[in-house]
Amino acid sequence: MSNQRKRPNGGEREEDDEEDDAEGIGQWERAYVDDRSWEALQEDESGLLRPIDTSAIYHAQYRRRLRMLSAAAAGTRIQKGLIRYLYIVIDFSRAAAETDFRPSRMAIMAKHVEAFIREFFDQNPLSQIGLVSIKNGIAHTLTDLGGSPESHIQALMGKLEAAGDSSLQNALELVHEHLNQIPSYGHREVLILYSALSTSDPGDIMETIQKCKKSRLRCSVIGLSAEMFICKHLCQETGGLYSVAVDEVHLKDLLLEHAPPPPAIAEFAISNLIKMGFPQRAAEGSMAICSCHKEVKIGAGYTCPRCKARVCELPTECTICGLTLVSSPHLARSYHHLFPIAPFDEVPTLTSSNDPRRKLGKSCFGCQQSLLGAGNKPGPCVTCRKCKHYFCLDCDIYIHESLHNCPGCESIHRPKSVSLMEE
Amino acid sequence: MIFKIEDVTVYFPYDNIYPEQYEYMVELKRALDAKGHCLLEMPTGTGKTIALLSLITSYRLSRPDSPIKLVYCTRTVHEMEKTLGELKILHDYQVSHLGAQAKILALGLSSRKNLCVNPKVLAAENRDSVDAACRKRTASWVRALAAENPNVELCDYFENHEKAAENALLPPGVYTLEDLRAFGKNRGWCPYFLARHMVQFANVIVYSYQYLLDPKVAGIISKELQKETVVVFDEAHNIDNVCIEALSVSVRRVTLEGANRNLNKIRQEIDRFKASDAGRLRAEYNRLVEGLALRGDLSGTDQWLANPALPNDILKEAVPGNIRRAEHFVHVLRRLLQYLEGRLDTENVEKESPVSFVSSLNSQAGIEQKTLKFCYDRLHSLMMTLEITDTDEFLPIQTVCDFATLVGTYARGFSIIIEPYDERMPHIPDPILQLSCHDASLAIKPVFDRFQSVVITSGTLSPIDLYPRLLSFNPVVSRSFKMSMTRDCICPMVLTRGSDQLPVSTKFDMRSDPGVVRNYGKLLVEMVSVVPDGVVCFFVSYSYMDGIIATWNETGILKEITQQKLVFFETQDVVETTLALDNYRRACDCGRGAVFFSVARGKVAEGIDFDRHYGRLVVMFGVPFQYTLSKILLARLEYLRDTFQIKEGDFLTFDALRQAAQCVGRVIRSKADYGMMIFADKRYSRHDKRSKLPGWILSHLRDAHLNLSTDMAIHIAREFLRKMAQPYDKTGTMGRKTLLTQEDLEKMAETGVQDMVY
Repeated sequence: MSNQRKRPNGGEREEDDEEDDAEGIGQWERAYVDDRSWEALQEDESGLLRPIDTSAIYHAQYRRRLRMLSAAAAGTRIQKGLIRYLYIVIDFSRAAAETDFRPSRMAIMAKHVEAFIREFFDQNPLSQIGLVSIKNGIAHTLTDLGGSPESHIQALMGKLEAAGDSSLQNALELVHEHLNQIPSYGHREVLILYSALSTSDPGDIMETIQKCKKSRLRCSVIGLSAEMFICKHLCQETGGLYSVAVDEVHLKDLLLEHAPPPPAIAEFAISNLIKMGFPQRAAEGSMAICSCHKEVKIGAGYTCPRCKARVCELPTECTICGLTLVSSPHLARSYHHLFPIAPFDEVPTLTSSNDPRRKLGKSCFGCQQSLLGAGNKPGPCVTCRKCKHYFCLDCDIYIHESLHNCPGCESIHRPKSVSLMEE
Repeated sequence: MIFKIEDVTVYFPYDNIYPEQYEYMVELKRALDAKGHCLLEMPTGTGKTIALLSLITSYRLSRPDSPIKLVYCTRTVHEMEKTLGELKILHDYQVSHLGAQAKILALGLSSRKNLCVNPKVLAAENRDSVDAACRKRTASWVRALAAENPNVELCDYFENHEKAAENALLPPGVYTLEDLRAFGKNRGWCPYFLARHMVQFANVIVYSYQYLLDPKVAGIISKELQKETVVVFDEAHNIDNVCIEALSVSVRRVTLEGANRNLNKIRQEIDRFKASDAGRLRAEYNRLVEGLALRGDLSGTDQWLANPALPNDILKEAVPGNIRRAEHFVHVLRRLLQYLEGRLDTENVEKESPVSFVSSLNSQAGIEQKTLKFCYDRLHSLMMTLEITDTDEFLPIQTVCDFATLVGTYARGFSIIIEPYDERMPHIPDPILQLSCHDASLAIKPVFDRFQSVVITSGTLSPIDLYPRLLSFNPVVSRSFKMSMTRDCICPMVLTRGSDQLPVSTKFDMRSDPGVVRNYGKLLVEMVSVVPDGVVCFFVSYSYMDGIIATWNETGILKEITQQKLVFFETQDVVETTLALDNYRRACDCGRGAVFFSVARGKVAEGIDFDRHYGRLVVMFGVPFQYTLSKILLARLEYLRDTFQIKEGDFLTFDALRQAAQCVGRVIRSKADYGMMIFADKRYSRHDKRSKLPGWILSHLRDAHLNLSTDMAIHIAREFLRKMAQPYDKTGTMGRKTLLTQEDLEKMAETGVQDMVY
């Protein structure tokens, strides 16, 4: 369905671009051309214009994704690496200045990487990110591994410019050097946004790929223009994902696919005990020199339980004694990846009208809004397998993608831990 | 899977089958039923070979009373090994289902160079010297000598094989060349002679075209094949050229000088024999007088030369009296050489028919046609008598005799062209005398006549109605199959204009136009920045390629290209080209990306695959017409017009387009692959040119892609590459079935093929 809708879309866009090149339409027009808002309208029976009801399609897509995830997880007890050390490599070579993504590839990349970083920390509070850029054939470290989204985003947006060749090998070598020191419980990952179509390397990249494989670096690549053999090879060897973005929306989807933790490779995933500290938040008025910025700060900070040093943000590693510092909500938030909520069953609309249970739940258990659609016909809804409560589609998505708890199950009076263990 | 096609149960070693493979088998089976010849075009990468092999072997199994034999001709040793590999899989499958009755003997046959296991012989560097080294150890007189003198070196493998004599047999199975060598080494038998011996017992033989088409070789290898044989020519789009080459001879100065040296040597040998062993020469003379067949009384290993395609009546005639004596024959040859030398001294281009050539030869050198006809056989007999083993040194005189025999035999379909210099380099005198054959049907006629079914198949046989005319035969089936695809994985485009809207073409009056050269360059520069990994470019000729690259170098276009990708060239030197190809592949592998500049009709265009990332885009710059001022081509065109009523223009376009199709077809070798093809010449947009492309390309050539400028092409390329990079479903969805299972086939058998497939 979604494919068919897109195809004519793509065809027309070609013509648009040619027109653009010839005449050069104004910026104000551009906004509408890119937006294509007129395509989201349709006529109803009475001839009135109304927006296309895309929620059903959207929901169908989402359910497919959910099913795919749970199908992959089914059968084996899946292990997931919750403590991830991810380097994002962004290719700012000559090709990043191209304008087939508007306004330019690099602007789009930066925009979506920003969104990704926020989403990533939201889903993986215990994890850390570092940024690397490729420019003029050399890889530069933009930021070291760290847990603060703001500092990364600042560094990324700092100077956006593209020049020179791209070198995959240099980037991999640099990242490998950084990640090799990570303790074994951490999951080493690289996500490369690659806009160039070639790589000018100083040496044999195959050796570098083998090196990465040996030190269990999971390399994923998102291409911006076309499939490259070497990227495919890299991903296959190291167990990462390789995908090529068709347009901006697709690029965003592909990026966000990397936010939830990937399944850990069984043979490497040995369970470990990790020493962690849960620092106390310092009193409001207390003054101290923080160990991360070497500045005097009043209030707002945490004290390492081992060495009593002051740090500004959590989660982090204590700069003095090297203890991993987290807070308990961080742990809790990471937890849900291990125990995902089972997908809700769809309620067949026709038979359910006679169902006595259905009469009980005329409204969504989540948002309390009526489940009846237009004309008092029962609209689409889903039900939790365990608590049998009904939910509307919006709540379904919210529960599975953000909340990670079923309100129905939670409100049943039972010790929570037991119910989680059962799953 | 096992399924029925009409009354034949087909054993197919895979679980799924493509619809076009099934159709292919149906057509092939009908041709076999009709005991006729057929012409089948099916794109590469659709499993043509396995479809063909499994149908023919299954056909054999279903008709146990009249077993047919399969002769499979390939162009290269590599293809031979691939075919045998597939046959092995098929054979295992059939044996596992049917048991011992399905067992067949299949083997590959190649030259000594590929089959020999004697390390001392293999040390020789080229094919001819390996042959000679082998003969030095295996000729009958050498072996007779060795019986007296233990110092004479023999080949143990050959001796063992001879000792085993009739018992030297291969057990049933499929033997690749590697397997044959291993078997031979194991048993201590010579694999080459073993394979030669087993040809008459084998059910499936895989060998090179030459073994059937070149009359010199065919007479030895293929003469024992029975009538109930299915002959398959794979990759046969150039079969007419192979036929013509088999019967064409060219003589240069060096050839004549070499031949003179050979004659001196022969002369010395004769004198030596006269002094020591006059009886031998006498015996040979007597034998010739009696008109005995030359080869009848010689043992098998000594058959190393045979007569070119001679009509049967000549073989029955006796050798004419004036060359029966060795000295006389040498005199005749000496006169022939002198005459040829005289002809080569000309300053003008001369063209002559064989008839007038023979008559002037008769009046000036006193050699008549009948004598000429027997030159080759007589030389063969003489060299045998003189016990000459190093045959590779005697190639020049053999060439001359070959020439003489052909001139003496054929009055039609040939012409003799003498050129004092190469057309393209008029200041360097390089006289050459060419006997060129114009009629492809001459060489292949015996094959059509002798065998029950001949199958000619390739990825590009369009337009399919021209081949029967060129080869003068009547196919019972001629069909072109389309490719069923799960996605549109090829993207052909016709580019007619540059970005500045000026037309591009390699037409003679336009090709040196700086605008055209610049537009071609810009096209490539833009394309290399959009296409990942490998790009292949084909030019119409070496000289054009050299010219355009020199211009690109001056204008800096080449430099712009090298910023994106490395550049490699094909040259006329094979070693250099191989090296370039090797490095090209490495550049594609490591992600640097590369462009390969090659020439249509060159080595690369014919035999090298640029599949997967080695070729994401192929650009055909211009229409690869043959060099139309070439004397040989003109003579051939004239002959085709007079004899077959094929218009010059039609033939030239046909030939150019099949070359173009061949070039661009390099890029896609399987269904999982994808690639783009750009035909960069405004002439491709004309219907008479375009319609001669094979159907599987045409069906993907959308009307919107027929008249593109560079910027439009770039845009399409971008979209296409993004689309192709997305994951896809191999079995095919949305009603287009591209992989059939057993049930599908059973259903199809009921409903009929057509409605299911398309």
